[in-house]
This record gives sequence, structure tokens and C-alpha cells, in this order.
Amino acid sequence: MAAQIGTVLGIGLVFLGFGALLLRRSLIWKLLGLNVASGGAIVFLVALSHRPGAVPPLSGYPEGTPSADPLPQALVLTAIVIHFATLALSLAYAISLTERFHTQETGRIEAASEEEMER
Amino acid sequence: MTAALLGVLGYFGFGIICFLIPRARFLSALALVCGTISFAVWAPGFPRGHLGLGDWAIPWEGDALAAAFWGLSLFLHAVLLLEEVGKPRHFYALLTLLFGTVLSLVLSRDLFNLYVSLELTSLIAFLLVGLEGRAAQVWASLKYLILTSCGMILYLLGVGFIYARAGSLSLPALSAMPPDTAIRLGVGLLLAGAAAKGGVFLYAQWLPTAHGYAPSSVSAVLSGLVVKMGIVAMARIAGAYGAGDVLVALGLITGFLGIYHAFWEKRIKVFLAYSTMSQLGYMLLGFGGGDWGGALTYAVAHGLFKPLLFLAAGRAEDEAGTHLIQRLAGKLMLSTRLGLGLGTVAIAGLPPLAGYAAKGLLFLNLPPWGKWALFALSVGTAASFSKLLPTIVRGRKGWKPTWGQFTLGLVVVGGGVALCIGKASLLAPSSLISGLGAIAAGYVVFHLLRKLPFRPPHWRLDESLLALFLAGCALLFWVLLH
Repeated sequence: MAAQIGTVLGIGLVFLGFGALLLRRSLIWKLLGLNVASGGAIVFLVALSHRPGAVPPLSGYPEGTPSADPLPQALVLTAIVIHFATLALSLAYAISLTERFHTQETGRIEAASEEEMER
Repeated sequence: MTAALLGVLGYFGFGIICFLIPRARFLSALALVCGTISFAVWAPGFPRGHLGLGDWAIPWEGDALAAAFWGLSLFLHAVLLLEEVGKPRHFYALLTLLFGTVLSLVLSRDLFNLYVSLELTSLIAFLLVGLEGRAAQVWASLKYLILTSCGMILYLLGVGFIYARAGSLSLPALSAMPPDTAIRLGVGLLLAGAAAKGGVFLYAQWLPTAHGYAPSSVSAVLSGLVVKMGIVAMARIAGAYGAGDVLVALGLITGFLGIYHAFWEKRIKVFLAYSTMSQLGYMLLGFGGGDWGGALTYAVAHGLFKPLLFLAAGRAEDEAGTHLIQRLAGKLMLSTRLGLGLGTVAIAGLPPLAGYAAKGLLFLNLPPWGKWALFALSVGTAASFSKLLPTIVRGRKGWKPTWGQFTLGLVVVGGGVALCIGKASLLAPSSLISGLGAIAAGYVVFHLLRKLPFRPPHWRLDESLLALFLAGCALLFWVLLH
């Protein structure tokens, strides 16, 4: 049951994030949406590998009990680090653009930066 | 087996040391030496192996694809080291790390390993595109980041579906699975994600500005090498699952829509970027049709003449002080015009240059409709590049060639001649006539159409996101009904 709730929650978060990315005009909101969506993908990966009653496969765990699958955990850790790096970089770019154009609206930032290229 | 991995490790090691020590260009050259020795040792045996322990070992294999991309990236690394002198050291560091990631990516046979390598190439590319800090470059980089991150989220969901069903992430295990709904869903998501990274039209509308506004040497390596990593991932996944027809369809879409946009584009580097999108279609046609040799030859040939064009275009922008094609005419030096001209005739397919030879090899193994599609694409390419002719013909006399462009030009000519001599059918009158015919037809088409008032849409961030999601859904449904 927990696994089903988790997978549905994960996919729901991905849709929510993508929705915010499409519908919001503010750059910060878009980046937040992107981060919610990547969080959803991570929840989805964790939930898929859930096994009822499993214990961590550390040394000395009781014989015969099902062990949790360590591979998805390793994947998720890697993915979290990558998403963190991407978010940090995108926020740094967002700060640089906002300082230059004094707006967070993506349409205006896009138009203003294209204009700067023409000069 | 260890030789290949040591080469990759050497690249990463030297790349990180480059950040710390002032003589970064020299260290980057050491990484190149290290990679070349490793390539010379592993390539003859085409080794395969596993990295890690027991059930969780990561499979990797050096095959023709890996060898082709190793050769191309080592060569492009050498060219960029010749071309770029006196840049800040983080430029060389990022470049070395980027090439190292590409070397490891093409060896991998594991879905998650591919994911990490793809994300790493993207992260380094984001930094390189925004390196000079002009607003348009920062925005192009941010758009690149947002769109590829969406693609990579789709890819990650696909990894989840495949792992839940197959219990393994290795591509050989995927090819042994009977295709059921979960596997189909996973493969659809993986392909859509890799397409967003790999510059397929509708999936990757970040490409025109990211490649068009980046510093020229960065555009050269992004267009020549990095964007093809997404195509490599698609070819590996579709090859393991057997979805060649999907790749062919995506290839036709990106080929023709890319040409359509390139034909009307006025900014020289953005024009070259749209042309890259259409050229990726040739490779997808080859990979999808099962002709890996032809697709790889084309990928390498494109990786030679497109960097030449980008480097020459960068010089042209500096010399003329504008990036509008119509204002470049009459202002360029002879050396720049030679570089642009050689790249143009090579991409248009003039015998016996590299573009003609690679196109000819790809042509041989296609079914009849594929031959027609390829011919139409060649006519379109020649037509869109016709607008560079006034820029190439008229100009100043100055002569300041750069070593990077010189080396690339030499290989574009020499490689093409070598291929033509090696494959006698390329010099048969019929293929010579079809090659020259495509160029002539393209020139005529250019003059017929250029006065028409068509203007292709402008792909802002919101339109690009919408295109990615809609085209991703379409791909998903198609693979589900496969």
C-alpha cells in the first residue's frame, strides 16, 4: 500500500512541478516548479523499491528477513546531488539576470537579453 | 579493459588539477596525451567488462561507436587547445572535464550511468555557455538548463519503470526482457528524455540560442560532439529495445524542421545551430535504419566541419562586428572566408570532401524512401547554406589563419579523399551526379524561395516547454502502442 501511495505521490508531484513550470511567469516560480518535479521523480524512485517488512542490509541483520534494495537508494542519492548542483547554478543565473534587468518575468528577461545581443 | 578506464580517470584527474594550477592549457594537453595512449591500447581489442562488484556491477563495452567518438573527441580537444590560447584556467578545466565525461559516456552500457554522464555533460555545458557572462548567454544557458532538466526528469522516471520491471539497469538485460506495458512506458520516457538532451527538434528548442550565443569555441564542441551524446543514448536504448522506427520518425522531424528554420534564419551562429538540429536527423535516420556504420561516419564528419564553421563564424563576427549574415559580406578576411567556404561546401556535400563521403556511405544502405528523404535533406542543406555565398565571395584580403581551423580544414579534405579512395562506389558517376545535383538544386531552390514572406515561429521558453511536453506525450503514446 505504501508503495502505491508513494508512486502516485511521486508522479503527482512531477505533474504539479511541470504545471508550475508552464503556467507561472516568474523565473523563481519556474525554478521552484522544476525542483518540485525533480523531487517527485526521487519520491517515485524510492517508492518503487519499497518492500514490505524489509530491513537495511547492514552487517548482522537477522537471517531470512527480506533486505531493502540498496541500488535505488544509491541512485536517489546521486540524483539528489545532481539536482542540487543544477538548482544552485540556475539560482545563480537567476540572480545575475534579475540584478541586470530588475524583473523576474521570463518574457521580459528574454526580450531584454535578445535586445542586448542585437547591439 | 583497464586502459580505457585509466584514460577516463586521467581526464578527470587533470581536469580537476587544471582548476588549481595556472598552467591549465599544458595540463589539459597532458590529459589529451593520456587519453590518446589509452585509446591506442584499448581500441584494437574492443574490450568489454564490468566495473564494480557482483550483481551491481556496471557493464561497459568499447565498440565501434565508442571508438568513433573517442577519436572525434580527442581530435576536437587537440583542435581547441591549438585554437584557444590564454583563456582563464577554468575554461581549460571545464573543457577537459567535458571531454572526459564524453569519453566515459560512450563506453557505458548502464541506464543510470548514462544518466549521470548526460547530466554531467549538461552541467559543464551550462557553465561554458554562460562563461562570458553576457545577458543573452546567461539566458540561453538558463533556458538550456530548464529544458534539459525537464528531459532528465522524464529519463529518471523511465529508469524507475525499467528497474521496477526488469530488476536491472543494464542495457543487455533490457534487450532480453519481453516488452510489456511497464517496459514500454519506461522506454518511451527514456527516449523522450534523451531526445531533449540530444537536440531533436520540438524536444530541444534550447539548442538555437545555447549554441548560437555561446563563445565560438564552446559552440564548436557543443555542436560537434556534446549534443550527439543524447543521440548516442537514444541509439543505445532503441537498439536494446528494438525501436528503430521511432528514431527514423524523430530523424525526419528534426531534419526537415531544422532545415525550415535554418533557411530563414538571419543570425549566422543561430543559423549554424538550426543546421545542427537538421544534421542530427541524418544520424537518427542511420541509427534507426540499423546502419550504424553510416550514422557514425556522418556523426564524425559533422563533428569536423561544423566546428570549422563555428570557429570561422566566430572570427567573422569579431571581424565584422555584427552577427547578421547580410551585413558580413565584404568585411571578412581571406583566411576567415576560406574557413567558412570550406565548411559550407563540405556540409553541402561537394565531392570529395568529408560531407560528401559520409552522406554517400549513409545513402548506400537506406531503403528507397530513405534515399529520397536524404536527397531532399541534402537539397535543403545546400539551399540554406547558399545565403553564405556572398559573404564568402566578397571580402578583404587579410590573411590571419588559426591553427585550429587549419587542422580541421585539412582533415575535412583529407578524410573525405581517403574515404572516397577506400570506397570505390563513392566515385561512381551516378553518386557524383546525385551529390552535385543536390547542390545545384539547392542553389536554385534558394533563389526561388528566398523572397517568400515566410517567417518561422520564435521559440521562447514557454513555447519550448510546451513543445517538449506535447512531443514527449506523443512519443510515449507511440511507444506504448508499439
